Amino acid sequence: SKMATSVISANLPPNIDPTKATMAYGNGALRRLNRELQDTENMLTRQKAVKALCDYLHDHEHVAAAIHEGIVVSLKSLLRDTDVTCRQLSTMCFYVISQHSVGREAILDTGTIEPLSALFEDAEDICRRNAHMAIEMLSEVPFGADGIVQAALVPKLIEKVKSEHDEIKEYILDTLHFCLIVNTQDALKAHGMEVFTSLLASNLATIRAKAARDIMDLSVPLDGKDKAVEVGTVPALIGLLGDNASAVRANAAGALSFIAVTTQGKYTALNADCVNPLLPLVNDPNSEVRVNALKVVTCLAEAPEGRKILTGHVEQIRQLESDEITNVRKHAEIAVRVITWRP
Amino acid sequence: MATALAQQPNEGNTYTFSSQPRAVPNRRKYRDQFAQQNSDEVPHHGNLMYDRRVIRGNTYSQHVLPAVAQPDPVEIQRQQEMRRRAMARKRAREQLRPKSPEAVEGRKHIDIQTELYLEELADRIEEADVQCQTDDFLDRPPSPLFVPAKSGEDKETQILDNELFNFDIEVKPILEVLVGKTIEQSLLEVCGEEELANLRAQQRAFEELRNAELVEQQRLEEQDRRHREEKARRVQQQREVQEKERETANKIAARAFAQSYLADLVPSVFGTLAEHGYFYDPVERDVESGFLPWLVDAVNTDIDSSVRARALLDGLLREVIRDRHTAYRALETRIEQQRMAEEDRRAMVDPSAAAASETQSQPRDEDENDAMANLEATGAPGDAPDADADDSAAAKEAEDAGDADAEGEADGEGEADADGGDGEDEN
Repeated sequence: SKMATSVISANLPPNIDPTKATMAYGNGALRRLNRELQDTENMLTRQKAVKALCDYLHDHEHVAAAIHEGIVVSLKSLLRDTDVTCRQLSTMCFYVISQHSVGREAILDTGTIEPLSALFEDAEDICRRNAHMAIEMLSEVPFGADGIVQAALVPKLIEKVKSEHDEIKEYILDTLHFCLIVNTQDALKAHGMEVFTSLLASNLATIRAKAARDIMDLSVPLDGKDKAVEVGTVPALIGLLGDNASAVRANAAGALSFIAVTTQGKYTALNADCVNPLLPLVNDPNSEVRVNALKVVTCLAEAPEGRKILTGHVEQIRQLESDEITNVRKHAEIAVRVITWRP
Repeated sequence: MATALAQQPNEGNTYTFSSQPRAVPNRRKYRDQFAQQNSDEVPHHGNLMYDRRVIRGNTYSQHVLPAVAQPDPVEIQRQQEMRRRAMARKRAREQLRPKSPEAVEGRKHIDIQTELYLEELADRIEEADVQCQTDDFLDRPPSPLFVPAKSGEDKETQILDNELFNFDIEVKPILEVLVGKTIEQSLLEVCGEEELANLRAQQRAFEELRNAELVEQQRLEEQDRRHREEKARRVQQQREVQEKERETANKIAARAFAQSYLADLVPSVFGTLAEHGYFYDPVERDVESGFLPWLVDAVNTDIDSSVRARALLDGLLREVIRDRHTAYRALETRIEQQRMAEEDRRAMVDPSAAAASETQSQPRDEDENDAMANLEATGAPGDAPDADADDSAAAKEAEDAGDADAEGEADGEGEADADGGDGEDEN
């Protein structure tokens, strides 16, 4: 018969994860988890609490309540725990927290950047990856990037970019992109340009694209432009102009456009025969590629030699004046104007 | 000898003994071991209540064996005393106990039984030995199924499937909640991701625009800077050229002017130098600078000495003249007196000869007066009346002519002195 019997089974009910702590009901859940997180004697309690917390935080409403309860401080002390699982799970919690604005603010207020950055040296891949993911999330807002730059993490990150796995490299490059928008001096001093140039030769298209984008950010100030010319970034970037991935082409063209603003950059690019790979890009399907290619053309046309070469291709550029994207049209007009300028 | 209690085979046996508890067997009345060995399985257990070895009653005042085997004589005496006293007390109590009254005469109190059945009262207690022994402990057999006696009517009922509880219907709300929650959660996450993707796309678009604008701005800045620099350079160049021209013009003008200025420079220089005496004849210069001053000095010295001599001479003269003047005055007065006397005599004798000698002696007197006055004036400058006289004389002469006359007078004085001197020399 299908009637339920009244035998009390000795097994735990199914679908209960014995590695997670039991959650108290309602508001008490967070309080209890917080208490268990601070339990210094019993490692098992802490592990189970962190695991439960990790799942609990995926609900957005819970994140705010958790921060209010002061979970961030407890998690911060867990980052230095001796147990791998604790560290890994706490970094994952931080990743989830940093996806929310209140979480990012809380991370900055409690000064968690330092311990998180200490985990960059961790032996475990997962811990490092989660730590980098959390920092990357944090850097996407201006004050987060500010905090990271002030904690002097930029040189450290550039060190790590050289040695880490590819997957983690992507996160670091993203973090650096946002930090470079805030401050470029630290990165330049830490030989960022050389590192990024070496990454341009990577196998992964995403890494090439991100490295090119970081080079573009780094070339905005004058020192960056000079450094780029010095280190030989220009030929590498010109090589990437024919890449398959559109993101790579766009970022390479963008980087070249910044470098070519200075006279030195212009002549370096012209000498490395930049114009030929550039012209097909003007008709690229991706709008960003077209815009950036137009910018490079414009900058190169400032120089008399460049103008001479480009005058032969003015018609091609003139066609873009009737492009569908406003941005492309505008920059095409500017380019044509510069090419046809007579002193 | 004591049988161990059979172990209960149940699982809840939690207690074990190191020595199983057993009842204490009674002491054998007879020590015959052989006779008792057969009946060893049935020991005699005495009654605990009547066992002399068991201490009964209050244990706080138990008799303790005396420490010494030999009883203390004092203790013995005391105990005897106590015994005697206890006996005495007991007898006293017996006596004091109220008894029933004595029997009446001829009757006797006898204890009799009044129950229904008489009982033989004897000391001897009838005893009978009964033995009982439990069987070996066996496992408790399972309790038989208790089947109570049937009472009441037989009724039956049967719940068929789907009558009480339809699983499919009941499970629906639960399923709905489960599925709903899951889908809601996943929708939230997917929406979140989609939003993120949209945000990123927007960010990329913005970055695209921003980068392009930034490049444009930098390019324009650069252009502007270049133009400005070029302009500045050209202006600088122009300015330099102008500067050079001006300088050249200045140089030419300066050169011409200098030439003209310097044309008569040499003669004028020589002229000026000659004027200022830079070209000189050394002999002439020497004569001028060496000889002439010496000459002049020498002349001065000479003149000084002659002046000094003259002054000395003047002084001498003055002295002499003063002396002479006084002497002459005295003489004069004597002469006058003599004359007077003579005149008187002459008058008496010849009046015209006296007049002639008077006119002759008058200019001589005037000269002498003048000389005397002058000498006195020059010889005694501090002499007030003579100075007045001289001043009046000098004033008269000065009114006639100025300094020249004064000079002349001085010369005249000198000459008068000289004359006086000459006069004296002549004299």
